[in-house]
Amino acid sequence: MSFLQPLALIALPLMALPIIIHLINQQRHRTIPWAAMMFLMRAKRMSRGMARLRHLLILLMRVLAIGALIFAISRPLSGGWLGSVGLSKPDATLILLDRSASMEMQDLQAGESKRSTALKRLAQLLEQGDYGTHLLLIDSASGQMQEVDSPKALLNLPMTGASATSANIPSMLETALAYLKANESGRAEIWICSDLNENDWDVHSGRWNAMRQAFAELDGVHHFLLAYTDPPSNNLSVRVENVQRWKRGNDAELILDVMVRTNGNSSGTRRVPIEFEVNNIQSVVEVELDTLGASLQGHRIPIDAKLSSGWGSVSLPGDANPLDNRFFFVFSEPPVRKTVVVSDDKRIGEAFRRALAIPLDPRLQHQADVIPVNRVAEIDWESTGLLIWQGALPSGLVAEQIEHFVNSGRVVMFFPPAQNAGEQLFDAHWSDWQSADGQEVAKVAWWRGDADLLAHVESGDALPLSGLRTYRYRTLESTGTPLARFDDETPLLTRVPTDHGAIYFCSTLPTAQYSSLERDGIVFYIMLQRALTEGCLTLAAAAQRDAGVGVLVDRDQWESVAPAENTASLSQRELHAGVYREGEYWVAVNRSHAEDNAKTSPVETVDALFDGLSYRRIDVDVGDTSALASELWRIFLIAMALALILEAILSLPSRKTEDTPLIDLAVADGSTE
Amino acid sequence: MLQLKRDYLNQKVLERLSTLQLHARLPMVGSVSGKHRSPIRGSSLEFAEYRKYVPGDDTRRLDWRAYARNDRYYIKEFEADTNLRMCLVVDTSGSMDFTDNGNPTGTDGETGLSKLDYARRVAGTLAYIAALQGDAVGLYCAGEAFHIEIPPKRSATHLSVVLDELGTMEASGETGLADILHETAERIPQRALIVVISDLFIEPETVRNCFEHLRFRKHDVAVFHLMEQNELDFEFDRPMRFVDMEGGEPILADPTVIGAQYRRAMEIYLESMDEVIRDTEVDYHRVQIHENYGDVLARFLLGRTPKKYK
Repeated sequence: MSFLQPLALIALPLMALPIIIHLINQQRHRTIPWAAMMFLMRAKRMSRGMARLRHLLILLMRVLAIGALIFAISRPLSGGWLGSVGLSKPDATLILLDRSASMEMQDLQAGESKRSTALKRLAQLLEQGDYGTHLLLIDSASGQMQEVDSPKALLNLPMTGASATSANIPSMLETALAYLKANESGRAEIWICSDLNENDWDVHSGRWNAMRQAFAELDGVHHFLLAYTDPPSNNLSVRVENVQRWKRGNDAELILDVMVRTNGNSSGTRRVPIEFEVNNIQSVVEVELDTLGASLQGHRIPIDAKLSSGWGSVSLPGDANPLDNRFFFVFSEPPVRKTVVVSDDKRIGEAFRRALAIPLDPRLQHQADVIPVNRVAEIDWESTGLLIWQGALPSGLVAEQIEHFVNSGRVVMFFPPAQNAGEQLFDAHWSDWQSADGQEVAKVAWWRGDADLLAHVESGDALPLSGLRTYRYRTLESTGTPLARFDDETPLLTRVPTDHGAIYFCSTLPTAQYSSLERDGIVFYIMLQRALTEGCLTLAAAAQRDAGVGVLVDRDQWESVAPAENTASLSQRELHAGVYREGEYWVAVNRSHAEDNAKTSPVETVDALFDGLSYRRIDVDVGDTSALASELWRIFLIAMALALILEAILSLPSRKTEDTPLIDLAVADGSTE
Repeated sequence: MLQLKRDYLNQKVLERLSTLQLHARLPMVGSVSGKHRSPIRGSSLEFAEYRKYVPGDDTRRLDWRAYARNDRYYIKEFEADTNLRMCLVVDTSGSMDFTDNGNPTGTDGETGLSKLDYARRVAGTLAYIAALQGDAVGLYCAGEAFHIEIPPKRSATHLSVVLDELGTMEASGETGLADILHETAERIPQRALIVVISDLFIEPETVRNCFEHLRFRKHDVAVFHLMEQNELDFEFDRPMRFVDMEGGEPILADPTVIGAQYRRAMEIYLESMDEVIRDTEVDYHRVQIHENYGDVLARFLLGRTPKKYK
């Protein structure tokens, strides 16, 4: 229990007052000489049990009445959220607010979302108590810390509004930790408001252990988690998995793959209308939902052939979460999927060109150019999606250009030079060639099949990497992540972590004297096509992006196209779903895929993340804006009244019965028989 | 008529009661001819019964009319009258100092009398009446700190001694009533009227033993059981510290809590005493000290008057 006036508890020793008065009174009772002591002693013996009990109860009621009054004056709060029963207030209160799309789940009756509910209750609680000198907010969308004037101000800040982003709770806690360490704050309270989405919490990340240890070293830090632990109510979300614009004779059409997911408890099937809007033209398609949802593959929407690019949206009827009922998409003519192969070896260059010139989809246009290293300056970086660099690692301007190329979302694959290794680039450096005079040197012992360039195909079959024969490979010194290894643990394919785009290093060459990549073909082709596909994502005039900070930084003049009611400020736009346009470029910003697959982390797992720390989880219900901590003084006043009433009842004298006269006058006559 | 100098005696009461006789319920044995029946048959004015003549009887007592009727010789037997020996046993334990409002004054007066004051009056009046009719009076006091033994005698001087001792008695200490009664039963060889004046705050079985002992010795036992109204009712409205008047430990008690139990204990005690009285056939009088002692004694004396005199 917490107290708003803890100083009043100093008066608790007054509870001993009735006992002291009783002891004093015992010494001050009127004294009377008494002759019939034998009867008095017998009476005391007869009434010892009940009388003593009654007397003790009376004393107890008096003590309790005083105690209840003192507690009432101290204004206790239920829960104990405002720190321990002590006299110190926190130096800082940090609020970590999960603003992810799933937090917009609403209670339809109350009209409040999880986010707004949590904010209101927390603001109310902090207004009641003392949040200390600093009130700081870290919101999940920006991940930045901001000082707030007052708890009430929390309700009106743009940083506490809804967003279509995902959250990164470990990062937010790391930000809080960094602040506490830097400012050497004494007592601090960290309030986390979240719906425990698995994707947001990443409970299995190794960061939690390090963070827990770091928090354990700080004194006086208390963690409180306002958690929505209830499973999501029946909610549908819609997503466009894929949209393509194709010409069809003199017409054009959009082909969409739409997924409708069901969250929460639902049974049986039902039909749900999906509304399509393209260039202000609506159409509705009904789909039949099962317990998991529905999938609408290859849905065709005819469009004007002159409309080379544009936007549209897919909508569902309103339900618990309005944020996942609409999905924006943009479309444009597919770009030329261009690859530049930099190699001084014509044979090797040709091998790459052949693999990259053949499109997966005949409707797509591919272009693969092979240029020697000395003509790198001729590269049109803007129109290139994939760069194959087979040569010494560059430095200087070329290295910067490649870095910029990658940061713009493109892909570069490095293959080993025959001779000079070159410089170090992206923390990687070629080492020596390994070979055995034409004999098979190494076989691929392991590769990553769940994702990336060597992932299983759609049917689930693995790529035939086990059959790849490698005669020569060059070792790579890198801190990157291996995607495939030889049996001697040497990486075949390595991916270097990067925020945007992708960087790969392949340790061998495709031609016959190095490996069977070109001859076998399948692995080589698929690997390159996948790299090209990934690299060309940003070539398109239309791009789908997940909401988050920095998604619109690539261009300066993005204009909001949809939704019409988009009133978000420039700084907040990238956090909300919508369509933006700059010239011929379109981008649709939506919530991430993870927000649609929202699974709630088990509370026990979340609790375990705070083992050894001062931690308390408060389960809340969406839409319930009742006070987190309610004052209990009324209860104690009622308790005091009850104690006094009981004391009065127990103190009432026993009712006297009508006794018959004790002296029988007939006997007093002395008459004897 | 004796000159009265004892202010605990009331002239009016004495004058009123002096017209009544103090009778013994049982035949007395005395050396002086008196008003009380004697268990010994002898010449007197009172015919008792006939018996057959045996050689050696006094022929002057032959009843010739009976011979004329029956042709047999019969002797007349007569009651032998003798004097009364009265022993007053007064309880002088501390509890006898209890008065109304618990304020021991030790003074005469119609109010504020202690049980001992009342006992003094009863004993003094009885002693006077007995002396007036020529009976012997003795006094025994039972108390831890005050012990008197004055064997019964017939003389004006002896009465003065008895009355003086009654006037100077003080109540204190624990009761020694049981011991005094047993001693009295043993020490007084001839039948006597034993008048016990006490609050009898001892176990009924102890009282029973004493009375049975006295009755075994053929004594006529009369008991004035003195009680005060507060002792019976125990009506107090607040917790009090009760100090034992016989020197025991004080007790802190709340009468509102234990009142019912106290009265129940008193009730049981009085029922037990009633049973003792029935079994021992003593002349028992339960007296509240606010009663007029003259009335009490009048009832006592009248209750002892033989039927032929009523």
